[in-house]
Amino acid sequence: MLPTRMLPNRSRTSVLVFLLPPLLLYCAAVLFPILQSLFLSFFSWNGISDMEFVGLANYARMFTKDDVFWRAFLNALLYLAICLVLQLGGALVVASLLTSLRRGRELIKTLYLLPAVISTVAIAFLFVRIYSLEPVGLLNQLLQSIGLGSLERPWLSDVNTVLAAVSAPEGWRFTGLYMLIIYAALLAVPKELEEAAVLDGASRWTLFTKIRFPYIRPVWITTTIMATTYGLRGFDIPYLMTNGGPGQSSELLTTYMYKTAFTSTDFGYASTISVFIVVECLVAVGLILFLLKRKSDA
Amino acid sequence: MKNLFRAAAVAAVTALALTACGSGSPTSSTNVAPTGDIKPREISWLLSRPADGAVINIMKKLADDYAKDHPGFKLNLITTPDRPSYIQKLETLAAANKLPELFDTDATPFARQLAQQGKMLDGEKLLKTLGIYDKYRPGALDYQRFDDGSLYMIPFQFELEFIWYNKALLQKAGVAVPKSLDDIPAMCTALRSAGITPIAVDGQDQWPLERYVAYQPFREAGPDFVQKLKKGEAKFTDPAGQKTVNWLAELGKAKCFQDGFSAQGYSDAQNQFTSGQAAMYNIGTWELPSLATDKLNPAVRDDIDFFTLPTTAGSVTAANEFVSPSGIGMAVNAKTYDPLVSDFLKFALQKYPAEYAATGVLSPTTDVETTVPANATPLYRKALDQAKDLGSKQAMPWDTQLDPTTNGRLQQELVLLVQGEITPQQFAETMDSTIAQNAPKFFK
Repeated sequence: MLPTRMLPNRSRTSVLVFLLPPLLLYCAAVLFPILQSLFLSFFSWNGISDMEFVGLANYARMFTKDDVFWRAFLNALLYLAICLVLQLGGALVVASLLTSLRRGRELIKTLYLLPAVISTVAIAFLFVRIYSLEPVGLLNQLLQSIGLGSLERPWLSDVNTVLAAVSAPEGWRFTGLYMLIIYAALLAVPKELEEAAVLDGASRWTLFTKIRFPYIRPVWITTTIMATTYGLRGFDIPYLMTNGGPGQSSELLTTYMYKTAFTSTDFGYASTISVFIVVECLVAVGLILFLLKRKSDA
Repeated sequence: MKNLFRAAAVAAVTALALTACGSGSPTSSTNVAPTGDIKPREISWLLSRPADGAVINIMKKLADDYAKDHPGFKLNLITTPDRPSYIQKLETLAAANKLPELFDTDATPFARQLAQQGKMLDGEKLLKTLGIYDKYRPGALDYQRFDDGSLYMIPFQFELEFIWYNKALLQKAGVAVPKSLDDIPAMCTALRSAGITPIAVDGQDQWPLERYVAYQPFREAGPDFVQKLKKGEAKFTDPAGQKTVNWLAELGKAKCFQDGFSAQGYSDAQNQFTSGQAAMYNIGTWELPSLATDKLNPAVRDDIDFFTLPTTAGSVTAANEFVSPSGIGMAVNAKTYDPLVSDFLKFALQKYPAEYAATGVLSPTTDVETTVPANATPLYRKALDQAKDLGSKQAMPWDTQLDPTTNGRLQQELVLLVQGEITPQQFAETMDSTIAQNAPKFFK
């Protein structure tokens, strides 16, 4: 409230004037394409044919007749789960450990952040080599050297392991970034609160659940929303590593939509899938806000 | 805010309506000899060929020669060698009605729609008007034709696909060159038990594995099978379809392809063969420089040979009929075709074959002799000589035949079938229903 009270009336108008260009840009770059997709989703159109209005036929096909769509949807949820565990869970653990470290914090922070600045294509190629069986890649060599040779497999060609194998690089890549955000939040937890709790005999776990975590909850909500929306629109690493294969084992909604639009030139149906992705993201963010808000109120 | 929404919606509708209008206007695809003055300008060729390959280098040189007599002329070559990316680019430009003067495409269902809309110049008429139609190899032109025999694309290459093999490895496993396609599964089992990878295949790019699905039907039912299959008139549950499905499942069971092939790329597969790990490798004459010259690993150089696609018992196609593609073709945009484009094509297409054959490759025409490079092994000449005795039929790669959705699904299901994740019956059912769902939109 403070800033508005400090501004005289005329400045408030000028704030609005300055807010308008970004708003217009947002409408042109985000809202307009979404509306256009919504519009296209009622048509059958391959780019060069005449557009044919088909009503809800694309939606009916998506929900009732398309087995690949459902497979891709389930895969996307699993991909999201793996990414979230690695990114948020990993980030929280590393950040907590960092706060108790006395020396070398900066070095470790930088090392963890490094993958986030490597290009996606390089990461994809790197992991294709790591997972390879012929010639033997890093992962299989490692398994062999610790006596788990029976677990050796072509990780990207095995339908049972491929989804986890393509999710891991994405999770690994951004763990450092979220670690940095959560670490900053943890630093802001008042020391005297923690010390008082320790004097009262609180264990490390109680300290974490009763003091630290409630304190960083707003930051936690933001990072969860960020990680979830990034996870739901994950595309590049699975697309580059396996192109959705073998079969549809690592097909995500995003890669399926992309192929439907640009390989099958079925722009109408691809728009239907993209509308579903938008709704899915909105629902996910709503759910996170609802769950985490309710917890903090309780 | 409400008004803004409304404005955006109106803009969306208008933008779409405009593109729809733009794509509807018909142009003449048969006027191959436009009249008027030649006004030199810059023209573009959107292509999908290796950036430093023979086709691009020669066309660049020819364009420079042409520009000497026609100041102001320039040929702008825009290449996207990665085929899937190229196809997306082409389809997007076609959707926006912004195709350049010249563009590459295979004889796909999408290209056929472009031709039907009058967006491409009639290639047969064009070549006949230029007086060079009869110089082309019939097979090179046939590869570019649509099912109805119409020709809209001009070939710039001619390739033959063989199965290359390592004599020493076959000997070590005690197996001979297969007489029939049906011999291959047993051959793989023998090679595997000798500790040899039977076949190296590039699984990442998907088309190499897709070649294998075309072989049995081509022998069993001839080139018509895929033409019927793609329209839903033939099925994978038919005898020829069943034969290929079961054969592929057997190849998988015999572990014919290297472990984890689906994640291995073009050079991975080639390295396995040229390093003497894999016994067989299915690839075309475009790899002659790496397989039949002194660039090939000396350790395997004397052991490499090739055989052409084996026949089968009761085969309806002959041993000298196999996959002989003339590569992606060049289409001429009917809308931008004018005296300049016509004159340049006349100039370039007449000079191209001699220049091309001089680089050691097969020309799509028969009027020139290929120069065998100085560093070639005897296998080079042997491979080129196969082009002299070809039958009248050829096996078409299925990725140029099927509608794109069916093609994508087939590529995915093939991997599952060969890996043994699905049964031949599941494969046939999935593919037949995919074709039934998608083919009608493309083959009206």
